[in-house]
Order: sequence, then C-alpha cells, then structure tokens
Amino acid sequence: MVSIRSRPCSFCVLLILVFFTCTWLPKATGQIAPPRQNDLIAQASAARMQNDLPRAIELYSRAVQVNPKWPDGWWFLGSLQYGTGAYIPARDALSHYIEMIPNAGPAFALRGLCEFETGEYTQALGDIQQGISLGAANQPRNEQILRYHEALLQTRLGNYTSALKTYSFFAKNGVANPDLLAAIGLAGLRMPLLPKDVGPGQQELVSSAGDAAYRFWAGDEISAAQAFQELFQRFPKAPNAHFLYGYLLFATNPDAALAEFQQELEIAPSNADADVMTAWALLLRNAAAEALPYAQKAAAEKPTVPSAQLVLGRSLMETGDLKGGLSHLEKALHLEPNNLETHLALAKAYSKSGRKEDARRERILCLRLTSGNGTTIEHP
Amino acid sequence: MARRLSTRRILPVVVILAAGVNVAAQAAHQNIASACAGCHASQARPQPDTPMGRGMQWPDTNPLFKSHPALNLRKGPYTYSVETKGNQPVYSVTDGTRTISLPIRWSFGKGAQTWVLEKGGELYESMVSYYPSIDGLEITTGDAVLTPQDLDEAVGRKLREGEPQDCFGCHSTGAVSMGKLHLQTLEPGVTCEHCHTGAKAHMVAAFQGEAYDTAPPDLRRLSSEDISNFCGQCHRTWETVVRSGWRGEVDVRFQPYRLANSNCFDGTDPRISCIACHDPHQELVTADNLYDGKCLACHASKNASPPGGGHNDAKVCTVASANCASCHMPKVKLPNGLMTFHDHEIRIVKPGAPYPD
Repeated sequence: MVSIRSRPCSFCVLLILVFFTCTWLPKATGQIAPPRQNDLIAQASAARMQNDLPRAIELYSRAVQVNPKWPDGWWFLGSLQYGTGAYIPARDALSHYIEMIPNAGPAFALRGLCEFETGEYTQALGDIQQGISLGAANQPRNEQILRYHEALLQTRLGNYTSALKTYSFFAKNGVANPDLLAAIGLAGLRMPLLPKDVGPGQQELVSSAGDAAYRFWAGDEISAAQAFQELFQRFPKAPNAHFLYGYLLFATNPDAALAEFQQELEIAPSNADADVMTAWALLLRNAAAEALPYAQKAAAEKPTVPSAQLVLGRSLMETGDLKGGLSHLEKALHLEPNNLETHLALAKAYSKSGRKEDARRERILCLRLTSGNGTTIEHP
Repeated sequence: MARRLSTRRILPVVVILAAGVNVAAQAAHQNIASACAGCHASQARPQPDTPMGRGMQWPDTNPLFKSHPALNLRKGPYTYSVETKGNQPVYSVTDGTRTISLPIRWSFGKGAQTWVLEKGGELYESMVSYYPSIDGLEITTGDAVLTPQDLDEAVGRKLREGEPQDCFGCHSTGAVSMGKLHLQTLEPGVTCEHCHTGAKAHMVAAFQGEAYDTAPPDLRRLSSEDISNFCGQCHRTWETVVRSGWRGEVDVRFQPYRLANSNCFDGTDPRISCIACHDPHQELVTADNLYDGKCLACHASKNASPPGGGHNDAKVCTVASANCASCHMPKVKLPNGLMTFHDHEIRIVKPGAPYPD
C-alpha cells in the first residue's frame, strides 16, 4: 500500500523534488554565486547535507539577502522551509525563484503544495497544474503525489468531474490507501471537503462510496456493483450516491446509468447535476422530447452551469425550437468557450438554421479541439 | 373529402390483393417489404436486394456461400476456412494440431462480408472476412493490429460490451430494443421498419382503414442536416466521427462526416442531402456520370435556373461538365487496400495534396 497523504509525505515530495531539481538546477540557472558569498554557501550546503535544517535555512536566508538574484539560494531556502512546515516563507522564497526561473516545474509544484497547506486552494491548484505541465510529474512517485493533491484541490473547489478523472488514474495503477478512498468518496459524493474535514458521522459513507468507485475503476464491475448496492442499502438517502454510480456506468452502459440518475432524482429532486445527466443520456438515445423537462429544470436551477445550458439548447433544437435552442447553446458557449459538445451542438444548430458559414466555423473548431485524439477503428 | 374516404376504404383491399396474403400474417413475417409493396411498390420491391437490404444475410439466402463453397486463407501459424455443406457454412481456424469450427449464422454485408460468431456464449467478429476486390479471404478491416496469442484468440475479436447492439442494430431490423439485444427475433438487413418506424403498425392500421393517420413520418421532409444525422446513425454522423477522433483515410467510409466537411454543404439545401443523390430503396448507382445532374443542380451555368429552385451561386467547373465525381469525389482506398470508397468531401482536388481531415 503506497502512501500519498499530504502532510506526512510532503517531505518525501521535497526530497524527490530537490533531487530532481538538484540535477536540473545548474543547467537551468547557469548562475554562479559571487566569490564573497562562497563561504556562506559552503556552510549552508554543509548544513543541508548534514540535515541540520534550521542552520541551513538561516544560512541560505543570509545568502539570498546578500545576493537576492541568486536563484539556487531561493530554491534551497524554499524547499528547506517547506520541509520544516514553514509554508508561508517557503511559498515566498519559491516565488522569488519562479520570478527568475519561470519554467521551473518542480518549483511551481512545491509552491502549490505550500499553498495547499496554507489554504490558498485556487492558487495551489493552478501552481500544481502548472508544475505538472512543466514536467514536475515526470517520475511515478512525484506524479502520484501531485495528482493526488490536484484531485483533492479539484474536489475542494467543486470540480468533481475533473477530480474523479484524476482519481481513476490511481485505481488503474493499483495505488490504494484509506485516505485515497475517502478522497474519492468526497469527489464522488460531490462534497467540497478535504478528507481531514470529514466529520466522524460521515466517514463510513465517504469511504464506502470511494471504495465502490475504486473497485469499478479497477475493472471489477461485479464487486463494484455489490459495493454500490451495499452503499445504497446502508445509506438510502445519501445524496449523489446513485449519481456517482450512474457517472461511472455512463460510458459503457448508458441505459443503466440513466436509471441511476433517475433514482438520484427520486432521492434528491433538486439535484441539477442529475437533471443534466438524465437529459444528456436521453439526448444520446435520441429522446429529446423526454430530455427537455429535465434540461429545463436543470437550467432553471443552475442557469450559470454550462452543461445545463447545453442540454437545454440541444433539447430545444432537437424538438424543433431552433431559435430557442441556439440562444441557450450560445449561452453555454459564453460560459465555457472550449467545450467540444457545445461546439458540436452549435455546428448542428447553425447548419439546421441555414447559417452555413457559422456552421462551418464551428465544425473547424471541433476538428481543432479534437486534433491529435486519433484512434484506430476497431470494427468494419 | 368523399374521395379521401373512398380511398381509405379501397386501400386495405389493394394491400391485400397486392401482397397476396393475409395482412396480419404478413405483419408477423420477418420481412414486411413484400407487404409494403402493396402500396409502395417502387420502394419496397427493389429495396430488399440493395446493400442495405442485404446488410445482413442468413446462410441459406447468402449467394456467397453457394458461389464459394470453400474459402481458405493462411495467416502466420493459422489457417482459416469457410466451407459450406448444404446450406450451412462453417468457419474454422486451425493451428495444425487443433481446430475450432463454428457455424456461421450472421453474415454482415452484401459484397464484402464479415461474420459474427458465437462461442461460449460470447460474440466474436471473425478474424477474416471475404473481400470481392480479391475474391477471397483477408484479415478483417481494423483487425490487422491484433496478434492472436493462441487458437482461441485467432478465431476473432471478442465484441466489447455494447458493440453487438451497434453491429446488429445497423445491419438488421428489430435486433435492439431499449438497449437490449434480441438475436432470436431480428430480421436480417435494413427493412422498411428500420428507417420508417411504425411501418408495421401502419400496415396493420391500413387494413382497418387508418392508413393516413398512422403513416410514419415522411423522411423526405427532413432538412439535409437532419438527413445526414438520420443516415449517420449507421453511416456515422459528423459528431460521432469527431468525438471518436477517427482521422485519416479510414474515415472515408463515413459519408455524412465527409459530406459535412465539404465547402458546399448546406444543412438547409435539399440539393446536397444524402437522398438528393442516393435513393436508399434502389440498388446503388456506381457510374459516376449518372450523378452529374446532381452536381449540375448547383454548378450549372449562371443562366440556368436550378431544378427545384434555390440559389445558384456555385462555381461552374472550367474543366468539364461530365463525370464530376471522378475528380471532385476521388476514390480512396482503405489503408488495407481491400475496399474503395468515393470520398464524399466534395472539393477541388489538388495533385499531391494530402487526404484532408
């Protein structure tokens, strides 16, 4: 069982990131400290190598005061401060480093982990994702830790679908521990919390939901089905439990997924997400007239949610109200400009409206959005 | 009004006489085309023998097995054969020491044919298919990437969850209901009911004088965009291809996708719809020149008024006024070289230009 917990393992992160960066730093910065600093640096380096962190931090602090343009000093200072739990000064030191070395993936990642600890969740997510995009997750261990924190933050910020996609990575790679299951459960049940914030009364619910989802991703659908049935029996009124199972089933069994979404709406009639998914599943079945009331309800409850506008726009378009449909699809586009489904629906709506050039523009955008996603056709 | 009532009463009689059988019994018959021909002769009589009508064939009515009673192919360590005795074709694969033989029940396709096989309660796509272009067997399109590890895998590719519904749903009628597969009650091929939902009920109602009230929706009234999406349910819609990320020459098979990529595609202009060029009830027209009139409906001289009205601002070809499709809809081979399709992305083809996605 691999640990990917945040705080206790943060030092592991540090060591890995430091190792990574130590091999990368000289090439990246290309800067050598002035001669008068050399003694100070040598002492700081010796303290660091001896694991005397307080002394090393003090010496690196003095070194960067003498020469604030010395990026390596800021990196060592920030990473050592992170290791001692001094997250705010660590974040600031890493910010100095990033100012000088703007493509430093590990520094972005480590600053994101600092911000995670200081509760600056939006900035933390941005920095961790920037770090990943710049290569900080290029080793399996780093990737696990960064992806885990990314998903924790996505959940905390209410981006549950992205979090679930990230968590599926762990199940497919056989990584499991109780913290991870609780974290998956939170994303699945759409609770904007971190695992440490789950009250004692909800821990069993959250862990059971996470366990069931984990089994599904691990490919054991029979065991997952049993786990979900047990979850439904033990917590029959738990919001989003049926929604979670429907979400997981959707790709392979949309009919079963639709039944779960409808079950969810019986438990929680004002669940706009379940309305959206019910409408979407019906639209994919070419049942736009059945989809329309769900779409209308979702858009009325959450008018600023792009997917609610999308399903309403599609439902209206496919039931003959082209003008009304276009209006909602254009709202969806405004709310989320790069959603492929919105562009696909707009291409169809413009085409049906005789707006040939607009349809063509949307089609080209769709092709651009999907370029590079090529797959082989596996059937005749 | 009197005339309408009169027609209502006469129509069922015409249906019965033309079909020559009891209407209720016909409705229960697997292929209702002959009954539909009572009123819709020009559509229903030729349709069963079209590529769509023969999208799936039973062994006893499949001419391939009569004309080719023994087909063979050796691929690596495996030898495939399709041998027909009586009306029963059998698909076999052997590695020289062991042989797996399975009866063929479902043949997919009229020209090129792939077989869906049942083994151990699971459905498999045959590893080899028949291709008219080589008049023999070759690896099934898309399966060349597979490397069977043993004889069981050499039989074919196990269909994924939901895939049988897609295959049977398009190649037969009545195979899928509420997402469930019903192999015992399906009708092979695309029959009237496949596209004209409610056709059977309409026929029975006609017997009771309700023909006009129960007529299925008139698909000719759909816009070009809607027709593309309707046909694309099987031939793949533009959306399906984009979502799936299929790119390259393999997507030439998906005509609604290719057509919508054409500069001239207009979702509201009936001159560019699937059925402007193809009558799905008739055998596919393969001579390029027979489509010229369709192209010239838009690309005729400025002075000519387009048939059926509409604008006529399309460019006139400066090279030729015949065999338009041979240049502007070039034939493209699938990467395995076994099947060729006209590219429905209508365009000015420049020499050496890559296949446009």
